[in-house]
Amino acid sequence: MSPVSATYFGISGYVIFWVMFLITMGLFVPRMVFLYRLMRLGKPENRFDRMGERIKNMFLVVIPQWCTLKSVTAKDLAGIGHAVMFWGFSFFLLSYIVLIGFSEGLGLRSFIMGGAFETAFLSILDIAAVLVMLAMVWAAIRRYIVRPARLEISIEAGFIMFLVFILMALHLTIESFAFAAQGETSGLPPITTTIAGFLTGAGIAKDTLIAVSHGAWWLHYTVILVFTIYIPRSKHLHVLASAFNVLFRPLDRKVVLEPIPLEALEAMESEGSVDLGVSKLQDLKWKDILDTYACAKCGRCHVGCPAQASGKTLSPREFLRHIKDHLLEDGPQLLQTNGAQPGEGQGKNLIGDVVTEDEIWACTTCGACQEVCPVSIEHVRKLIQMRQNLVLAQNKMPESAQLMLRNMQTRGNPWAGAQSLRLRGDWTNDMGLKILGATDESVDTLFWVGCTGALIDRNVLATLSLVKVLKAAGVDFGVLGEAEPCCGDPARRAGYEFQFQISAEENIEIFRTYNIKKIITSCPHCYNALKNEYPLYGGDFFQVVHYTQVIADLLSEGKLKLASDANSLIAYHDPCYLSRYNEVYKEPRRIIESIPKTRLKEMERSKKTTFCCGGGGGHMWIEEQHGTTKINHVRMDEVIKTGADTVVTSCPYCLQMLEEGIEQKGVKDSLKAKDLIEVVEAAMKQS
Amino acid sequence: MNIIVCIKQVLDPEIPPAKFKIDPETKQVIPPQGVPPVISVYDERAVEAACRLKDKLKGKITVLSLGSDKAADIVKHAISMGADDGFVLSDPAFDNLDSFGIAHVLSKAIQKVGSYDLILCGRQSADWGAGQVGSILAEILGIPVVTLACDIEGVDGGVKVKRIVSDGFEIVEAPLPSLVTVSSEIGMPRLPAGMRLMMARKKVIPIWKAADVGADASAVDKANAHSEVVGLTVPSRKVECEMVTGATPGEAATNLASKLANLI
Repeated sequence: MSPVSATYFGISGYVIFWVMFLITMGLFVPRMVFLYRLMRLGKPENRFDRMGERIKNMFLVVIPQWCTLKSVTAKDLAGIGHAVMFWGFSFFLLSYIVLIGFSEGLGLRSFIMGGAFETAFLSILDIAAVLVMLAMVWAAIRRYIVRPARLEISIEAGFIMFLVFILMALHLTIESFAFAAQGETSGLPPITTTIAGFLTGAGIAKDTLIAVSHGAWWLHYTVILVFTIYIPRSKHLHVLASAFNVLFRPLDRKVVLEPIPLEALEAMESEGSVDLGVSKLQDLKWKDILDTYACAKCGRCHVGCPAQASGKTLSPREFLRHIKDHLLEDGPQLLQTNGAQPGEGQGKNLIGDVVTEDEIWACTTCGACQEVCPVSIEHVRKLIQMRQNLVLAQNKMPESAQLMLRNMQTRGNPWAGAQSLRLRGDWTNDMGLKILGATDESVDTLFWVGCTGALIDRNVLATLSLVKVLKAAGVDFGVLGEAEPCCGDPARRAGYEFQFQISAEENIEIFRTYNIKKIITSCPHCYNALKNEYPLYGGDFFQVVHYTQVIADLLSEGKLKLASDANSLIAYHDPCYLSRYNEVYKEPRRIIESIPKTRLKEMERSKKTTFCCGGGGGHMWIEEQHGTTKINHVRMDEVIKTGADTVVTSCPYCLQMLEEGIEQKGVKDSLKAKDLIEVVEAAMKQS
Repeated sequence: MNIIVCIKQVLDPEIPPAKFKIDPETKQVIPPQGVPPVISVYDERAVEAACRLKDKLKGKITVLSLGSDKAADIVKHAISMGADDGFVLSDPAFDNLDSFGIAHVLSKAIQKVGSYDLILCGRQSADWGAGQVGSILAEILGIPVVTLACDIEGVDGGVKVKRIVSDGFEIVEAPLPSLVTVSSEIGMPRLPAGMRLMMARKKVIPIWKAADVGADASAVDKANAHSEVVGLTVPSRKVECEMVTGATPGEAATNLASKLANLI
């Protein structure tokens, strides 16, 4: 006799079963439809391309739990607990369909149960239940006693953990009491039959055993249904949304910024209201809204964010939470009005009330939040698009940002003014370089120096080192000299989208004119713009490489040999736009390792999870929030901790930031900052 | 309100001082390579003032720039900020004109543009800084001039101008048409954004020669110039650094204050 086939107070168990199920669906389905409609408030965006690749990606990330296991460190083992719970709970989910839905609900018990399948399945559930319970206890201890910085104390999380724990306990109760009633007290499943042995030993009557088992079964069923109703109303919506969020994640670029179509702009201007970027919920893309559903507030972004670590008000976790709260609060009204914005004074403003301008400008666009996010949430583009609205539609930005953007617009370079004592082409003097436009020789490789490498004294030294090394290795290349403009990256990160578009289009025209096939960049920000963003503006006919890739190749081809008696201990600071945005972190290490007597000391935050120097996203020029720590000082503390005598990087911004950090921390005598190419040049001279 | 703004292209004042070179023989500045010239800062403010008036009162802004062909760049910049139309006045006959010559050519160009309610100029240029063209131009056109404006407001049949004086400001009203020269106190010029930025760079700016505007040959004849450059030198820059100290921050501040007092 199964629990469902019994009769209760004259009512068939099947009737009770299906009535409870329908009530649950009556609460679950409309909520899901509501959430789907809210998501559709977002703007369209095609994330349905390359579905085969997307599905493969999703399975490779979710099923093996790479999403959380990738960020497991000695200090943060929680990912293992999540994986155990995920795998364990997945079997239970299957059991709810097979054992409860088909076997009990549809009365197919006699076809499914009995035999090896049942024994095997129940054995797996036995072990899974115990593991999930242990994971829950661990999670509770972590969350409420250990209290790591990334987690918040919430009743919601506790309630969910309690439900999961109870489900497991009830499962063990159902099975062990049933086994005891049937007299199966040994063999498989291992745990429940062992418990059944104890129950039998305790001499409990068979009727009582069956009654408890059936009672536990109905309670178990009730908890599952409560859980089903609760999920889409809590942060555990994450359970339903995450896999889709991973499925629709960006494939080629970490931060997806699409060109703003000029037709749309023209239409807005003719209507007399320019509304660019993101200033309200409906300006977000649907994937941005799905992001808020997928967020479980695990807080990995919160502790990885340089703005948060240095005391700014921005927290990527809270940023997402505030958008979701706003969506649930003001979204229903928008659905009623078909997406039309409520009148003045009604509802909250996304910029200002939900996300403050300080938060929007605090982001360095380093992408640390996205890198550690287990569910592929895209924080950075939301912030950049909010900047677009402030700059393009409202003409509102910090004074330092405005100065930089004005320089970009009128002088074509963010460093204009007293910040540079050089002219653009000065660095080329006496270097015997082929300057495109001035030389008759045809060159198809361009060394793109970047504004900082051409204008700032300290960075020019690195530029000169690179030129010397490339020449010594026999690389044939040309430069643009004084005619080299800005790549446009600082404008784009600061939200001044059209200036970036102009820069991209004009630069691509230059590359076309000189028939450039390959571009070597020294600045990772230029590298990222040229390599990943120019193709959308027609710049797809040239290859873009960073100098570290070129040098690593020259070394493996034997065209460059390094020797050194420096006996140096180097800490390598990975630039975000190189290691994280473009996954170039092996090459710099190969270069350092090929210098004899030089040892590399890895920093705790390195490679793809490196920590920003503070200079990205336009922040070389945009002031940090007053009264907060400087991001480069936070990073410098981490550098000092390595005990290295030299901190090496391969980005002009990072180099400046590190040098300033060394100066301010008063460690000039024991620590030097160098560009990797300077180290290479020094090692080359000695050979 | 139809506004004409006269703007000038100058050597970028932000170039490093050490890179500023002159030719003492020809008494000319040698423009450094790789640094594009920019709109004179005061003139950019005049464009901003025009845009603010247009935002409120509608109308048309026309920009005129006397200089080389390259001045088309700053005319485009003004258009990206909000001007509707613009012309470059360029002719070998216009090279090295003094303030009277420039004002004459501008007055002819303004007559060619046609009707206007207000003419705006920067208070002075950022390179030579003579600050005369605006007033002379008003004299030639026979209209009132108000200099050093830090705020311009349209009133019935005229403009109300707040102008900077040495110990504050005064507010004057002028009928239309008038000429107003704009000072930097008017505030930061807007950051061009949106469609104007994209359209302006593709716009073709017409170039008017001496014959196009009907400039008077005698008025642009160097022999009739009212002023002459007799010498041109780069000012010598000397930087002396002295650390002012004191036992307490208060004392250091007192020492600094007394040093500053002695300097004045």
